[in-house]
Amino acid sequence: MFFHIVLERNMQLHPRHFGRNLRENLVSKLMKDVEGTCSGRHGFVVAITGIENVGKGLIRDGTGFVTFPVKYQCVVFRPFKGEILEAVVTMVNKMGFFAEAGPVQIFVSNHLIPDDMEFQSGDMPNYTTSDGSVKIQKDSEVRLKIIGTRVDATEIFCIGTIKDDFLGVINDPAAA
Amino acid sequence: MSGEEEENAAELKIGDEFLKAKCLMNCEVALILEHKYEQLQQMSDDAANHVSQVFEKSQQYVKRFSRYKNPDAVRQVREILSRYQLAEFELCVLGNLCPETVEEAIAMVPSIKTKGRAHDDEAIEKMLNDLSLIKKFE
Repeated sequence: MFFHIVLERNMQLHPRHFGRNLRENLVSKLMKDVEGTCSGRHGFVVAITGIENVGKGLIRDGTGFVTFPVKYQCVVFRPFKGEILEAVVTMVNKMGFFAEAGPVQIFVSNHLIPDDMEFQSGDMPNYTTSDGSVKIQKDSEVRLKIIGTRVDATEIFCIGTIKDDFLGVINDPAAA
Repeated sequence: MSGEEEENAAELKIGDEFLKAKCLMNCEVALILEHKYEQLQQMSDDAANHVSQVFEKSQQYVKRFSRYKNPDAVRQVREILSRYQLAEFELCVLGNLCPETVEEAIAMVPSIKTKGRAHDDEAIEKMLNDLSLIKKFE
């Protein structure tokens, strides 16, 4: 799910950036530093949308750098366990398939794909029901439920399932 | 980390910080990112090179999965859903997935049926009807 939240960060600024453009320099450095990063707690920072306030700077001993506490609004993407969302299939193999929902990767193991879907290898590997009516392949859109997340310093990785009511393929590129 | 271990969106356990935060539906994110991208384009010619991979992927994703394209419709969806005493998170899941039946809505957002909340099937049905009307008249 995407959220609009306020975060705070202490920004260190070199004295050469002081002057009337100080605030602009601070903001552009903040964007460069923060956008595109990921933390386990807040998820992926997609875009900064505004600055709430810039606090009083504090000169660091010895270096001349100044630290400013900056409060900013941003759009983040944070997946949650139990959340249901839509995703695009990026890779299919006999272990299951990978899908992407925005910046996050989700793996659906073949144990969590309905039992009536069989893996078919070939140049377009896919999972298909025995009657051939439903097919999951690269670029399919699926609705899945996140059942687990693994968080490390710079990445969030999810495990999902489509073995539940109202989950599975939403549209099939081959049929369209 | 102990707080995160009990995290479960189906029961609306997403941590205080996110529960109080403003959630965004995909269509809203699409509008925000579009706007931001235009701003970047005005500042420099090669805006595409300046955006992060996360930005790019999110933008592609929300474009693909936006149910409502028109900004007015997006506003209406939020307005209508907010009449039903939903949590922000629930509102956005419903707005993103647009379930068609009451059963489907409950499967998508199990927390609307938890005890102590005034959502009977009729109210949910009415809500889904209102939603599908916006889609129809967009």
